Amino acid sequence: MAHAFTADGQELVAIMDEDERAVVAGLCLQVMDLVAPTSTTAKGDPSDPFEAIVAGLGDLATDTEDGAAGLDVPDRAFGLDHDRDPALDRLFPTGNREDEQEAAEFRRFTEQGLRQRKHQGLTTTVRTLEAADDDRWVVTRAQAPAVLIALTDIRLVMGERLGLRTDEDANRLEELIETLDADDPAVFALSIYDFLTWLQESLTQALIGEDDE
Amino acid sequence: MSIAPAEQQTSEPDVVEAVDTPWITLVWNDPVNLMSYVTWVFQTHFGYSKQQAEKLMMDVHLKGRAVVANGPKEQMEADTEALQGYGLWATFQKDV
Repeated sequence: MAHAFTADGQELVAIMDEDERAVVAGLCLQVMDLVAPTSTTAKGDPSDPFEAIVAGLGDLATDTEDGAAGLDVPDRAFGLDHDRDPALDRLFPTGNREDEQEAAEFRRFTEQGLRQRKHQGLTTTVRTLEAADDDRWVVTRAQAPAVLIALTDIRLVMGERLGLRTDEDANRLEELIETLDADDPAVFALSIYDFLTWLQESLTQALIGEDDE
Repeated sequence: MSIAPAEQQTSEPDVVEAVDTPWITLVWNDPVNLMSYVTWVFQTHFGYSKQQAEKLMMDVHLKGRAVVANGPKEQMEADTEALQGYGLWATFQKDV
């Protein structure tokens, strides 16, 4: 059973077994594929349901077009001249919602750099997971921002796959998940999403708590 | 739009105003980002006090968006890029 992050001097430490660490590291690697500046279209092995979650190959039962707030979903791709994976539109959303030209220009100047930084942060996170000893996942205060951002990026991608785009979707998701079979991929995906949420909250608190001292 | 007769063009307020119009950086609500994390981002990136950062976070959460910074266009673009790097949906625009 995992233990959330707590501050231990200059280090922030979570207790996670090998399987749990492998899940987080695996998700990091998948999102790295997604954000890689020279983004390939390689999508991994579609027969693996776990990979399919992040790769967006299978449609999850929770991602319905006719959600209560369906019409209110904001246009994150404003200024983009082609369709692409909606998860990329969430990670690299438009920077201007009023002026299409400004939006396109902002994207042209910032997206490659943002992709690079996210890739680096995810790499840092994987390294800290691989360095875990005796189930102790140790993150230094200097590494914490990169890990927080990596957890955010994974959750943004998974949220997109689950159809989580507005606050109303969050409520809808809770109700919908109750109606699904326990072995539905969406149920599995949501449980991992909730696990990452819990981890990120604890890391944020551990980091801020140190600041207050 | 119309063009004013030449004799009435005693000043050019529109031009002056355009130069002085500050730009703003907005952050939009989303269901994924955590309240504690968003507060931490505002403190870390802008150096805002915890109280100030929490107020802005609540504005984003309850009103759907908040103006988190204002100033010259280049600075607002830089803020937008940085906040997007943190995973927040930030945009910049002219303050009208």
